[in-house]
Amino acid sequence: MSELRKDLISGRWVIIATERSKRPDDFRPSGQAPAAPEAAGFCPFCEGNETKTPPEVYALRAAGTTPDSPGWTVRVVPNKFPALNPGPPPPRASRGIFQSMEGRGVHEVVIENPDHALELGDLPVPHIRDVLRVFQHRIKAIERELHYQYVQIFKNKGKEAGASLSHPHSQIVATPIVPKRVKEEIYGADRLYRTFKECGFCRILREEETAGTRIIARNGGFTAFAPYASRFPFEMTLMPKRHSAFFTDVHEDELLPLAEILKDVLTRLKRTVNDPPFNMVLHQAPNPTLSAKDWPELHLKSHWHLEIIPILTKVAGFEWGTGFYINPVPPETGAQFLRQA
Amino acid sequence: MKKKILVVEDEKTLRLLYEEELSKEGYDITAVTDAEAALAKLAQNGYDLIVTDIRMPGKNGIELITQIMGLRKDIPIIINSAYQSYKEDFMTWAADAYVVKSSSLDELKSKIKQLLGE
Repeated sequence: MSELRKDLISGRWVIIATERSKRPDDFRPSGQAPAAPEAAGFCPFCEGNETKTPPEVYALRAAGTTPDSPGWTVRVVPNKFPALNPGPPPPRASRGIFQSMEGRGVHEVVIENPDHALELGDLPVPHIRDVLRVFQHRIKAIERELHYQYVQIFKNKGKEAGASLSHPHSQIVATPIVPKRVKEEIYGADRLYRTFKECGFCRILREEETAGTRIIARNGGFTAFAPYASRFPFEMTLMPKRHSAFFTDVHEDELLPLAEILKDVLTRLKRTVNDPPFNMVLHQAPNPTLSAKDWPELHLKSHWHLEIIPILTKVAGFEWGTGFYINPVPPETGAQFLRQA
Repeated sequence: MKKKILVVEDEKTLRLLYEEELSKEGYDITAVTDAEAALAKLAQNGYDLIVTDIRMPGKNGIELITQIMGLRKDIPIIINSAYQSYKEDFMTWAADAYVVKSSSLDELKSKIKQLLGE
């Protein structure tokens, strides 16, 4: 019997198709071999090819090394051919009833390590912490110096997840407006705050901790679980136990436990479902300085978290048409497999 | 001495147009139809700059520039495609510029001048 489950934050319903529940072995990601150009041996993100990227905007590098030369461990460069033009956020324009603005934004690539073959989850924990620290640094710089409304950090791993290059990297895109999905999450968080008289995410996390059936991993500061209304098989949410709306609020001493649990869940995913392609997305509240006027209590209602979505099924006509998702792996089953990995 | 430019373009009319227009700018143009012919020319001659299409029969332009990187990384390369979408492929970063094809060659000429330091 299938079950319809509602995601409390977004209000989105998901079909959990228990009658055709799948095991991890049923998912065989295809096309994981590197694309032909990489097989030829050149990668613009590899150490030694720094001249093929735009000048770095930030890097963690060995003392005595100069920018845009070898010797770095994490490197951030602007997109060489960006879809949004760099520059300060543009003003809105009106053409009658229609609104528009110049296509300006920030698009940066975080090259997570110099080694082409070493994925984020394969890196030592202190190196993963450094990557997370770089994320924080860039968010602060983009929000405070460039005054963009929303900074989105995401990672596409594998061709099916949208990665055009297998060298491990994440991307940062800052937009001059708060994107629709982020607004929907804000509205959902606001609704739950009024219902529960506390942060809805904190309440959900407490319920998950009590139930335990969807917990994947946890440590002193963070919990990874399969969301109750998971849209996709083996979907994971990684959430801080300490209430915090902004990723930049993660304390220095919390970064190491965060890196530990991130490595842990990525390793579990790799073992459980044959190293699948995945998307990792940071959810957080918009730029606090700019959003305080529109959403004055957002810091109380929003709660940053990481969403990890393995690409094992295809989003097709039914999903696009209705907004419904059909998940063939109940999250309790997915969490159990991931816990045992 | 004239700067030598290798143009890789499978459409005959565009090849002829580039030969004519870029020759008028004072460059020595060699135009070939595909990646294999380009690699053969590169093995025989030195070029100051390469302009390449992406969608071509046989190896595509991204595969071509990746192979060129294996030979030498110092030749400036301009991707000249009718499609914006290839910009999302980070392998295009092996090139130095990405010019979307248009009826005017002004942007292409300007990028060539810039990359040749003129």
